Amino acid sequence: MRSVALFGAIAALLALPEAFAVKSHDFKTCSQSGFCRRGRALAARAQEAQSSWKSPYSVDPTSISVSPENATAKAAVKSSLYPEIKFGLELRIHDDGVVRVLMDEVDGLRKRYDEAASWALVSEPTLSKGIRWAVGKKELRATFGKTNDIEIVLQYEPLLVRLRRGGEDQIVLNGRGLLHMEHFRTQTLKETVEEVASDENAEGQEVLQTENVRAWFEGDSEDDYWEEKFSSWTDSKPKGPESLSLDITFPNHGTVYGIPQHATNLSLPSTTGDSPSYSDPFRLYNADVFEYLASSPMSLYGSIPVMHAHSADSTVGIFNAVGSETWIDISYPSKKSTQTHWISESGIMDVFLLPGPTPEDIFAQYARLTGTTALPPHWSLGYHQCRWNYVSSDDVRTVQRRFDEEDMPVDVFWLDIEYAQDHKYFIWDHKTFPDPVEMTNDVAATGRKMVVIVDPHLKRTSDYPIYQEASDLDVLVKPKSGEGEYEGWCWSGSSSWIDHFNPASWDWWVSKFKTSQIDTGFSWTESTEDVHIWNDMNEPSIFNGPEITMPKDTIHYGGWEHRDVHNINGMLFHNNTAQAVRLRSEIPKRPFVLTRSFYAGSQRISAMWTGDNLGTWDHMAVGIKMVLANGIAGMAFAGSDVGGFFGNPEPEMLVRWYQVGIFSPFFRAHAHIDTKRREPFLLDEPYESIIRDLLRLRYTMLPIWYTAFRENSISGMPIVRPHYVMFPQDTAGFDIDDQFFIGSSGILVKPVTEKEKTEATVYLAEDQVYYDYFNQYAYRGASKGKYITVTAELHQIPVFIRGGSILPTRERPRRSSPLMKLDPFTLRVALSKTGTARGELYLDDGITYSHQQGELVWREFVAEKPKKKTVRISSRDLASQNPGKAVDGVVLAEYDPKNAFAKEIEEVRVEKIVVLGLNSKPSAVKLESGADLKWEFVPGVAASEKKEGTASVLTIKDPKVLITTDWAILIS
Amino acid sequence: MLWLLLLLPLRTLGAFEKTLGVSPDLISKYVPSKSNTWTCLDGSKTISWDDVNDDSCDCADGSDEPGTGACPNQPFYCKNEGHIGSFIPSSRVRDGLCETSCCDGSDERPGVCGNVCQEVGQAYKKKVEEEMKIRKTGAKIRSTYIAYAHKEKKRLDGVIESSAAEIAIQEKEVSRLRDIAERAESLSAAALELKQQSPLYISLITHSNALKSLQREHKKHLEREKELSNILDALRTGYNPNYQDMAVLEAVRGWEEIAGLPHINDVGKDSVSDEEAGVQEDTSSAVVETNEELDDEMWSAEELDKDLDDLLNSDYVSLLLEHDEYVQSPPEGSVLFNLASYLPDSILPQYEEFRDALTTWLVTLGVIKGETPSSTDTSRSRQALTDAENNLNSLKKEKQTAENDLKEIFNIHGYGYEGEWKKLDGTCLRTDVGDYTYEVCLFGEAKQIPKKGGSTFSLGKFASWNPSTDVKPGDESYYQKQIYNRGTRCWNGPERNVVLLLSCGTENVLNSVVELEKCEYQFTGTTPALCRPLDGSEGKDGKKSYGGKDEL
Repeated sequence: MRSVALFGAIAALLALPEAFAVKSHDFKTCSQSGFCRRGRALAARAQEAQSSWKSPYSVDPTSISVSPENATAKAAVKSSLYPEIKFGLELRIHDDGVVRVLMDEVDGLRKRYDEAASWALVSEPTLSKGIRWAVGKKELRATFGKTNDIEIVLQYEPLLVRLRRGGEDQIVLNGRGLLHMEHFRTQTLKETVEEVASDENAEGQEVLQTENVRAWFEGDSEDDYWEEKFSSWTDSKPKGPESLSLDITFPNHGTVYGIPQHATNLSLPSTTGDSPSYSDPFRLYNADVFEYLASSPMSLYGSIPVMHAHSADSTVGIFNAVGSETWIDISYPSKKSTQTHWISESGIMDVFLLPGPTPEDIFAQYARLTGTTALPPHWSLGYHQCRWNYVSSDDVRTVQRRFDEEDMPVDVFWLDIEYAQDHKYFIWDHKTFPDPVEMTNDVAATGRKMVVIVDPHLKRTSDYPIYQEASDLDVLVKPKSGEGEYEGWCWSGSSSWIDHFNPASWDWWVSKFKTSQIDTGFSWTESTEDVHIWNDMNEPSIFNGPEITMPKDTIHYGGWEHRDVHNINGMLFHNNTAQAVRLRSEIPKRPFVLTRSFYAGSQRISAMWTGDNLGTWDHMAVGIKMVLANGIAGMAFAGSDVGGFFGNPEPEMLVRWYQVGIFSPFFRAHAHIDTKRREPFLLDEPYESIIRDLLRLRYTMLPIWYTAFRENSISGMPIVRPHYVMFPQDTAGFDIDDQFFIGSSGILVKPVTEKEKTEATVYLAEDQVYYDYFNQYAYRGASKGKYITVTAELHQIPVFIRGGSILPTRERPRRSSPLMKLDPFTLRVALSKTGTARGELYLDDGITYSHQQGELVWREFVAEKPKKKTVRISSRDLASQNPGKAVDGVVLAEYDPKNAFAKEIEEVRVEKIVVLGLNSKPSAVKLESGADLKWEFVPGVAASEKKEGTASVLTIKDPKVLITTDWAILIS
Repeated sequence: MLWLLLLLPLRTLGAFEKTLGVSPDLISKYVPSKSNTWTCLDGSKTISWDDVNDDSCDCADGSDEPGTGACPNQPFYCKNEGHIGSFIPSSRVRDGLCETSCCDGSDERPGVCGNVCQEVGQAYKKKVEEEMKIRKTGAKIRSTYIAYAHKEKKRLDGVIESSAAEIAIQEKEVSRLRDIAERAESLSAAALELKQQSPLYISLITHSNALKSLQREHKKHLEREKELSNILDALRTGYNPNYQDMAVLEAVRGWEEIAGLPHINDVGKDSVSDEEAGVQEDTSSAVVETNEELDDEMWSAEELDKDLDDLLNSDYVSLLLEHDEYVQSPPEGSVLFNLASYLPDSILPQYEEFRDALTTWLVTLGVIKGETPSSTDTSRSRQALTDAENNLNSLKKEKQTAENDLKEIFNIHGYGYEGEWKKLDGTCLRTDVGDYTYEVCLFGEAKQIPKKGGSTFSLGKFASWNPSTDVKPGDESYYQKQIYNRGTRCWNGPERNVVLLLSCGTENVLNSVVELEKCEYQFTGTTPALCRPLDGSEGKDGKKSYGGKDEL
């Protein structure tokens, strides 16, 4: 009840939706950030100097050493500005053609942070073999790739790195001469400089001249070198300037995607050049931005420094493994080229050049580096019901009962921060949650789970065992002095933060989640294995910190400053939590951990959501773009809060938001404490029934989602795919980010995100038939691309099946997804214009890691025309044929189709097959083994025709075939 | 005949399977036609009898699969022999879970759920019996409430009767006094008018008006100040420390300084600040007080508060008349009138003659005032009238109140058709949740009272019984919900309000308080007033429980 008063401030904004606004003065613009200002000023000087500009960095040709065995080349680099400072450059060619470019200061006063990649990479990359380096007088070259068409070129003077393919530059580093690695130096007192300057002697003149010599590049003043003020905070910057500026140019690619997380278009708008879309660069600095804008380059909760550059000819990418605050300027000098400028506060240069040349290749190359999304627990693809807060265990029970009474499926109930006594996470407030274990068991009785929040801020009281143990273990983040415990303010009041960079914290943190008593301190005995975890506020959010986060000069393990690791910090927290949840049980179970903050690599362990969005139409729309952007940057298990976190969406908006939500990889409804309750069972008709149908549609399609997750876990291919991924050569589709495909299933969705719309236009990129999912109307695309208009009343969502797809669904409504385990399947066979179709289905127990031992079912369904007048629909096993590609991270030597899991579901059958677009009424439908089947045919448009209209529908009733066995049906 | 015997069980068995999940009232419709077909219940389609309950949905209305769950939104009937038959939705058929509401296990694959209807039935019976017991006891208490209502009615009838008699007497008295007062006033009216021209009186009236206006403005300011301090208190305890908004922080600190409060961040931090919290309570009343020294004759704030009203309610006309007495007394009348005392007796008769002539003349000329009938007498008779009238009014009011109360007692929107709620009027129920005590005084007000000091908030005043349009006033469900609304406004939020959910119980208690949404409280409690007596028709739950309500 304390919260009544506690969050009143937010209510003010809730009362006036038009007053929704980000507190932009809480966050820096580039001009308020010293190193960004310096970086942009450098770019401006280069722009002004035009062709006379020349990078001061060069490679010493005599220093080059190459090592053909491990595909590495090393060289010394120096800057003409500081001839005494030494830099080292290294090129490494990976076996998949990725080139890693590293540069660091050598024998400097201090060490630059060089561990970002070690956190991001899934494993040490394998280097290529037999690379032949050609050391020339002006440049170093190597050619590689499957067809030997990729070339890496290191030009000596000025230093320049080019990745080329087919004789064309793909990626160019330092092409604009903006590379600048600020070396470590000792602070010279200003007074001395001025004194000397005012002194008329010759030495003074020299000093002045020296300053001038560098000014063309570095500028006149030591701008915020040693201290930086923002609002009431002062960053002490004990290491002085150490930023890294690097320009990366894509001379032959006119569109760039990636660098989440920003609330903006998928195809990134420009920030510099002629009439840029935004005046500030895109910023990567994990931040808790209250009521963020629906279109802005401002940084948000997570950062993935990966960028794809795309053209109709090819796709390339870069992954810049940097953990410090980074600003990225983007400009498009022409329709066919892109310039980017990356300015980071600290750290070495560690850039991975991804040669592509297709989007699939980029996803595979990036997945080889940072990993894919681990197959999540199956239930986590169901519907998640959240609210800040369900106020008591009885409240949770009542909400569950209401879902059941209204026969609406739901898998997970969530508890936000108010379950915890004084916001001491793990510690239940027994006044309102007297029986947490019983409550969880009541939820679990219908196969459901709970997700409970555990935030990183630890209340600094000795009666809080988590804090006390962490303090005793000395694993808390330290203040700038390096001694004691950093203290900040968050929900729990005066708080400290665990330093998850400290290995001593890892096993300890894992032990906290044990559900049984342990000898070494606190363990969460008041929880069960049905409790999974939500890690919020892990940017970290600190209410009284600069930019609502941790001061940059606080100290982490190894003496690193927070500035060096800020963007990685959140990932370590949710990573360690996920380990803890996985390891708490005898037989490890797949953990579900939702994180708000993330970094490259976070996808391996957790789901993310787009944070505290607003209940407005534009936030609903931008949420889709953000999920797509995360998906192409590897963070595939993503979603936005359905309904919007802040505000009270009207029923129409809520319905539309559920339509968006059911087509997001992560599907959760959530609401702020000041909002009215809005659980779907509270709505009036017709809204309640519409949402019931939407929830059921999500559950119907769970086999499609799970199959897409398997594919992602192997290939890194996004779960929701934007147009350019599906049709990389269709320039008209490059900017489309409001419609998307689900995995390889062939489902195309165009959610409606505008008020009072009754129609939608949908882009069809190819000459193919697309069937309306609900009424089987056959639409025709065109090879040049074509827009169609479809009705989209409130109860309708434009969902299409691409001709040539077979969809496995489960059509029986259940209370939760685990209860669908033995339900039969329906197959929708959507014939392509050539009369064929294909689809996949992946199943396993959805809970444990037994799939890694081959306990899984992976099937392929094919419709083909063996004879002119016959359609043959068959099911075959994919796992036996591709045992090495069935499971991520494991190469199954062989696959047993009669494995334990397959046996568990051996009675599961196909209860119905629907074939769309047959040419004419069949004369017979029978099993290949002979038996006649019952069927019905409704005539209509055939797939092979050119006209539009309701497609012909053949419904085969109960073909008596099983899901785990091979079979074939002949339609003649 | 042997073949018949053999055939019979087989056919029965077949029919049993085909009618799995069919409710008794529809069972007659689940028979095949002569050609072994069957028509969907909505008439939309005729299918083979083999297709009924074959785990594959054929009919648009789903009626061909009453027992398999193959069609969505179908009720599945569990016979639950030994207990009560009930429906479950098809989403629960063959989902692998055993339902208490389908205790015979007929909804699951064979062998998944045993038949537990025996136990479920017994437990249900026990539960019902327990409920009945509570209800019986409650009903007894309830009957005492009804008896109370009747007694109350009698009392009120008595009050009405006796006050009616008194009113009659008092009305006569009023009219008698009015005659006297009016007679006296008609004589003195002209004189009084003259007196009221006195600058002193006019000035007094002006002062009085000014003071009244000042008092009105003062009250307004006090209210504003109170509101502002409430807002600031809410800001202080409720501001979001997020973002360190300096404007908010300064406002909070400024307020704390003015109000003499400790900084909110320090409150409750340790034992020392607990003491401070105690201090805070004391000092909060000091907020409006000023410490300045008062001049002797100046009024204190307390006096202003208490005594100013009395002062302003003074009868100025009476004061004016009283004033006359003071002005006239020491030289009673003018020298002219009292000269006689100084004169020798011998010339007294002549003098008196002269004086009378002179005064008559002077009075006629208006130079001096002649003696008039005593104005104090007029005022007194008016006062007597006023007193009598007041008395009459209060008698009338008493009667009116009694009449109104009487009306409410047996009003279905008030204390119920049988008056069973009258007894509980003003009964306060309390419960502790967290740092607060919650209180609801039935038909009065609901409150949130902090245990550790701070302001008590009104959560609303009684507004109505269950306002839902689905509920018929007078029904049991009508009395199971009370609405209290228009409580203290939440800072920047809605007014607080309470939904009080009541059920039959042997005691009047408040069981739980939850704030499901901000400032929207749900109280639950029990009361014997809801324990309606058992009358044969109740107690047996013959209703279909479709939708998952467990029988337990």
